[in-house]
Amino acid sequence: MKADVQEIYKIKTTEKESLLKWYHLLKLGRSLDDKAPNYLRQAIGWSYHAPAAGHDAIQLAIGQVFDQEHDHLFPYYRDLQTCLSAGLTATEIILNGISKDTDVAGGGRHMSNHFAKPEINIHNVSSCTGNHTLHAVGIARAIKTYEAKGVAISSQGESSVSEGYVYEAINGASNEKLPVIFVFQDNGYGISVPKKDQTANRKVAKNFEGMKNLRIIYCNGKDVFDSMNAMAEAKKHAEENQTPVIVHANCVRIHSHSNSDRHDLYRDKAELNYVQEYDPIAKFRRLLVRYNRATEEELDAIDAEVKAEVKVAHKAGLAAPSPDPESIHDFVIAPSYVPQKFPDGTHNEEGEPKKLIEALNGTLKEEFRRNPHTYIWGQDMANKDKGGIFNVSKGLQQEFGHKRVFNAPIAEDFIMGTANGMARYNKDIRIVVEGAEFADYFWPAMEQFVETTHEYWRTKGQYSPNITVRLASGGYIGGGLYHSQNIEGALSTFPGVRIVYPSYADDAAGLLRTSMRSEGMTVFMEPKALYNAPKAATPIPEEFEVPFGKARIRREGTDLTIVTYGNTTHMCVEAADKLAKEGAGNIEVIDLRSIVPLDTDTVLESIKKTSKVLIVHEDKVFAGFGGEVAATISDLGFEYLDAPVKRVGSTFTPVGFNRILEAAVLPNTDKIEVAARELLSF
Amino acid sequence: MKKIGLFYSFHSVKTKQQAQKIIAALGAENIEEVNVEEADEATFKKYSNYILAVPTWFDGELPNYWDEFLPAVEDGSLKGKTFALYGGGDQKGYAENFVDGLGIMADFIEARAGKVIGFTSTEGYEFEGSKAARGDQFVGLALDIENQAALTGERIEAWTEQLKKEFK
Repeated sequence: MKADVQEIYKIKTTEKESLLKWYHLLKLGRSLDDKAPNYLRQAIGWSYHAPAAGHDAIQLAIGQVFDQEHDHLFPYYRDLQTCLSAGLTATEIILNGISKDTDVAGGGRHMSNHFAKPEINIHNVSSCTGNHTLHAVGIARAIKTYEAKGVAISSQGESSVSEGYVYEAINGASNEKLPVIFVFQDNGYGISVPKKDQTANRKVAKNFEGMKNLRIIYCNGKDVFDSMNAMAEAKKHAEENQTPVIVHANCVRIHSHSNSDRHDLYRDKAELNYVQEYDPIAKFRRLLVRYNRATEEELDAIDAEVKAEVKVAHKAGLAAPSPDPESIHDFVIAPSYVPQKFPDGTHNEEGEPKKLIEALNGTLKEEFRRNPHTYIWGQDMANKDKGGIFNVSKGLQQEFGHKRVFNAPIAEDFIMGTANGMARYNKDIRIVVEGAEFADYFWPAMEQFVETTHEYWRTKGQYSPNITVRLASGGYIGGGLYHSQNIEGALSTFPGVRIVYPSYADDAAGLLRTSMRSEGMTVFMEPKALYNAPKAATPIPEEFEVPFGKARIRREGTDLTIVTYGNTTHMCVEAADKLAKEGAGNIEVIDLRSIVPLDTDTVLESIKKTSKVLIVHEDKVFAGFGGEVAATISDLGFEYLDAPVKRVGSTFTPVGFNRILEAAVLPNTDKIEVAARELLSF
Repeated sequence: MKKIGLFYSFHSVKTKQQAQKIIAALGAENIEEVNVEEADEATFKKYSNYILAVPTWFDGELPNYWDEFLPAVEDGSLKGKTFALYGGGDQKGYAENFVDGLGIMADFIEARAGKVIGFTSTEGYEFEGSKAARGDQFVGLALDIENQAALTGERIEAWTEQLKKEFK
């Protein structure tokens, strides 16, 4: 197989300087690749190593066409040669391999063999293989939006193309016409799984031949010149046409998948021999000598130079500092915006109450006017007068245009993943996504959600995904499964994300503003049953702000503390009012507003006063977020308690569609009242 | 018939066996064997008639030895020279690229004004795609040891008979 492209690079005509530079890079990459297992044998590190040998030519080519200033490279875990060719030094490769604090990818926080250098646009990617295709598409969207020079280059093995999100990424790039190059390095195996068990076509790129606006180039990834020509053509095409390209490069895997694999268990001797014969570096050297482009002596001198270089890098790597265990809490989440006008997130505004939906719509528009680098997309986001499934974003596209407000395909992971990608382009960018039509449709996006929670920590603060994920959440609408459930309990188990869940219009406005001005990711839960509810409507001061991690006491009391958020805040206030009227007790209702970070101080201060606590939320009691609140109280406030901590929430069942079933599952004012009475009687 | 330069890899196994059958059929006196791994431009230019052994490697690639040799002759003309091509492929394992190598080589020769002879019928093969296929003919002799080993002898016999007429 040879690429059907213009032959710019040939053995007889390419400048000698380039040829020798390539030979040097190839030998340096191979030396490091061959040396990596030694670090594990000596218990120094590099416990994960996926050898690049056999992929050398295409990896050299990826790195050589990459322009550090304008392009963005998303390598995968086998891309040692790619990263070296793209600009990492031998020392930087080793620092990553043995997970040192000075590892430029992220100070030893991410797995070894995951090379990156965000400073020069070589991005730090996941080991969830292939999911960076979505990030490449996201940043290509930014390149196109800002009419900038450059392309995004994503690299992966052919087996990871089986992942659904890769289809979503390529489909999106094809549909949006984005300058992305997807390189498939085809070595025939996904660990031990042969590609016949992955897809029907032997060349997986063929599966995409029906897509519009997409060019596919097949090349010999073991041949330096064919790989160089293919990548040069791919970049030229992507830049000139502003459309995506797939480069399918045939490679061989000379060694096992990684150091935890033994390929002799599934490859016969003949195969193990012939993959050695395909060695791209040996072929390149033969060509250099055969066509008198370099002498054996010149090449031997480079070999010696490489040997010395690796020795120096090795010494520098061993001497580098290891990460400080005290640093684990650094860079969990990027700094949040600190409200200036309303530092505690309260106000005394009077006047016309606004509905929660109006608060959200108004705040979105105000923040879009304030920051020209603000974008929003999601399903049902913008079609004439339709603006979001519940019309929260109504009028945004008319005012801010199609480049800033647009529909996404029905692909939640794509919505989330391209947000993660686009946010990389510029630190001023703030992205809001409607993560799904309903919060409980968010599950397909979970892998990108998890990925996004890792970014800031994994890169040691080098990349902060500045994203607000809006999710219409909760029940009381007769929606049943995928329409009436809560997911915040599950999401709260991931470090690296803030989660807020307002109950009233003013807090909704204030929290959304703070989210959109903050760095890092915030999940913004919207209690959809309250969008138009008069009880949630409030006056809202201009530019109202609510800090994260600051609860609001919605009803003061002395006999019992109820800790709640979202839909159930109103039920708790109603139950408290009723019990107060009866003279059964004076209950304090704390609306958490933010569940992550949690305002432990306000909760403990209240319990000091009341000595009793009831935790109420709409999500399931079993393994719900209330369990964390209860454990925190038990840990830090046990001495203040005169009664057990009780919880009210949903049953440990799905939410039924029939209204009778829904009512049986979800908490309500009566259930809260019963639990409150029980605690008051202690 | 002028002397034919039979270019193949002396390190190969199957291709070498096939080369020996071809030599036997055409007569050793009519053939000069050349190890393509060591061939240079001067050796190549010596002949007017050629048989090139071009097995297909992997998913439709030329063997390294051809990849490495072709730059030597890529800038010259092959006008007045006649080539017959044969090579192995695997129509089941690599159905999308069956004997692509023959097609790649034929394109290379024709782009430099060389003449390719010895076309054979695609009948009797089952494959999905091939750069060697032009309509219902291959641009040379396609051999498939993996799936149709029993047919190799008779295919070579018929092809060499054809070459006797087509080579001048």
